[in-house]
Amino acid sequence: MASLPKRIIKETERLVSDPVPGITAQPHEDNLRYFQVTIEGPQQSPYENGVFELELFLPDDYPMEAPKVRFLTKIYHPNIDRLGRICLDVLKTNWSPALQIRTVLLSVQALLASPNPNDPLANDVAEDWIRNEDEAIAKAREWTKLYAK
Amino acid sequence: MSTYEEEHNTSSNSNPRRDLRAQIRDLYQENGSSAALLQLLAQLIPESMQEELLNEKEGCPETFIDSLPRVNKRAMKRTDACSICCCSYLDDTHPLVVELPHCNHRFDLECVAVWLSKSRTCPLCRDDVLSHKPNVDVSNVELEEDWGMYG
Repeated sequence: MASLPKRIIKETERLVSDPVPGITAQPHEDNLRYFQVTIEGPQQSPYENGVFELELFLPDDYPMEAPKVRFLTKIYHPNIDRLGRICLDVLKTNWSPALQIRTVLLSVQALLASPNPNDPLANDVAEDWIRNEDEAIAKAREWTKLYAK
Repeated sequence: MSTYEEEHNTSSNSNPRRDLRAQIRDLYQENGSSAALLQLLAQLIPESMQEELLNEKEGCPETFIDSLPRVNKRAMKRTDACSICCCSYLDDTHPLVVELPHCNHRFDLECVAVWLSKSRTCPLCRDDVLSHKPNVDVSNVELEEDWGMYG
């Protein structure tokens, strides 16, 4: 296996020594580019009190290419689809090599705090969200209780 | 216009690959521009990948990257680090650090060169680095006798 770039080692160390509140990220024993991630649902959001599991993978071209991040826990959110894929600009066109694992995960956490149904990935959820926001938020709460323990 | 095969009446055993090639050629000529063709071809691939293909940003020319001003070692502090590789510049006894025009953000040349070969934005502030090129060029021009002459 090719040696791990110094940057990835530094980032991993800092994630452990100086963790982001409400976020954990642990590299897999067999593959130090693969991280098991948990994100706590932000307070006063429909995801409050939920703990969501995600996977994060650093491609060979990282940091020239964005990390691949996906929700493993089922979640009802207009910008996250059935497969857990996330619609987030910094993961696609707005990626910059000055961003890091921690900043990306903070952006994901911020996305939970402010769903954006006008730029949807899960079209059916976004439609629900626009049609009846209260109902959609109630459903998001319900799913959080059911799946994000 | 008839092809050799048609003229010589040998088209009965025509080559499917050649037919396909002809179709693509027709398509290309009908559309005229490669942008239109690209749009059309993009429709054949999954939506998630379309965006990537169509929005693929062009990088900076190599001449631009080569012309970035180098930062003097004495102007670097112990704690200054490249935000791409996260290493301190002074860890290296001969750091090769460059500064982007306008925003003045600094990076290891080796790191930022890879990024700028596929993007035009500063990794730290997303400034379009090429948009300021004329200004920078003017300030850097040395007054020589053959001023304004190239080649």
